[in-house]
Amino acid sequence: MNRVVLLTVNVLGTGPEEAAHPGATLFARFAHGRYAYRVGLARLLDYLKRMEIPATFFWPAVEAQRRPALLQRCLEGGHEVASHGYAFEDHSALGDREPEVLAAAHEALTRLAGAPPLGFRAPHGLLSIKTLGLLHALGCRYDSSFIDDDSPYLLDDDGGTGMVELPLNQWLIDASHFGRKLTQARAEAFMREEFDALIEESGYACLVLHPRADIGVARAARLEMMTRLLERAQTFSVTFQRCGDYAAALLEARRTAAAASP
Amino acid sequence: MMTKWPSGASAVLCVAVHMDGPACEIGHGHAPLGMRGGGRYAARRGIARCLDIFARQGVKATFFMCGHDAELYPDLMREVHRAGHEIAAHGYQHEDWELGDAEPELLERAHRILSNCVGEAPVGWCSPSGYKSRLTLPTLKRLGYRYDTSEKDDDLPYLPEIEGVEARDFIMLPNNTTSLDDWPMYHQGQGLPSELLANWIAELDALIASGGYVHLIVHPRSDYGSGTPARAAVVERFIVEALRWPGLQVVTLARLAEHCLAAPSQWRGEDK
Repeated sequence: MNRVVLLTVNVLGTGPEEAAHPGATLFARFAHGRYAYRVGLARLLDYLKRMEIPATFFWPAVEAQRRPALLQRCLEGGHEVASHGYAFEDHSALGDREPEVLAAAHEALTRLAGAPPLGFRAPHGLLSIKTLGLLHALGCRYDSSFIDDDSPYLLDDDGGTGMVELPLNQWLIDASHFGRKLTQARAEAFMREEFDALIEESGYACLVLHPRADIGVARAARLEMMTRLLERAQTFSVTFQRCGDYAAALLEARRTAAAASP
Repeated sequence: MMTKWPSGASAVLCVAVHMDGPACEIGHGHAPLGMRGGGRYAARRGIARCLDIFARQGVKATFFMCGHDAELYPDLMREVHRAGHEIAAHGYQHEDWELGDAEPELLERAHRILSNCVGEAPVGWCSPSGYKSRLTLPTLKRLGYRYDTSEKDDDLPYLPEIEGVEARDFIMLPNNTTSLDDWPMYHQGQGLPSELLANWIAELDALIASGGYVHLIVHPRSDYGSGTPARAAVVERFIVEALRWPGLQVVTLARLAEHCLAAPSQWRGEDK
């Protein structure tokens, strides 16, 4: 059986706090995100190189504009750069501004990465009923924001014509545990139990990591935890794929199946 | 990565005790009574328990004190100071909110109270709950401070920019309020003492392998923190575990700051 794991990274630096406190200079408790720039993201990239795992980095355009060199390092590492919106907007509440915000993010990431992003993950996981249609119009092939299934599915009925959804599992998001300040042993146990059952059931799992020290896995001790989890994942004979490659393969399989059917 | 710690140590552990006495409750307008007595526990039991642990293990720690706690318990402050530990500043009444223009005066007030109480001016500061402003570092520098532990953005000390200039006489000694602090994992994460110990030891091992700067925060309170016997025992076991590492030294934050500022090029010091 061809089991697939998508290792994905939401590139959260200081952007979420800046969006919540516009115009403010951020210090200390509001500046955890600086760890991502100073230490976390580079460490995560070194780690993925050591582990030989290709990943998908969802970049908010505002973080990419601030740290273009780190975005380049993602590309040089063989990883995919996808869109995580512009500046942590709540897409469910953007209204008429949504098309321009999505287009601006798309344009900025296309320029910085040298190619248009193939996929999107909604900031805060929030979408409007128009989001998928707008992504389709921008040429996106997949979305990865939903928690409504164990396996990928087609988005035609939701406005994302010709697109595929690569759903998340909330308990395979590092921030679901570290945001609650669990010890890393508990976080590891939560993720291990969830992963084991999911991969057996559906043959698919999407992991979501953050390059921060507070809500993410960028602390050295937590990467050791990730090593145990990822080595365990290997025992299920999984392959790690980039979201764009996997979405393309799923869409190609659909075309082949449609062509073969009478 | 080259890091040279004091006295040729291969790694350093700094133990930061945030007393957070009744000044916290009083600062919020509450009488520190009954179930609001967690800070009084620090004064009645917790600090003494810390002093016993540190004496048994032969280590010196840094005690971050609120100015108002020093007004309430001046003899306790002097006892900590006489035992050879560092007294550092931690607000007047643990102001865990935005202070605006009132901030410099409050920093000065706490500074004056602690200086007069123990006869030595504090050189270190940690923000109560991590609130700071553009006024903070310039004010601390003017008052003669040498370090700030409030930032959470690196695994190693670094030199900050203050008013646009890279400081040469002031250093950031980042703390870790995520996973080397008793508060979040007890209070929010509902961890057991034994679970926190395991987490701290995992952090210790990983930090020693990636730079060697270990900064533990404990609160000797009974409610949140490590004041009670079961939780204080975990603090001692952690120190014992750290001391098993060859070459690790337990130093005060002031000692570390002086070492780093004496030769910034020896370890690492650019602001990113």
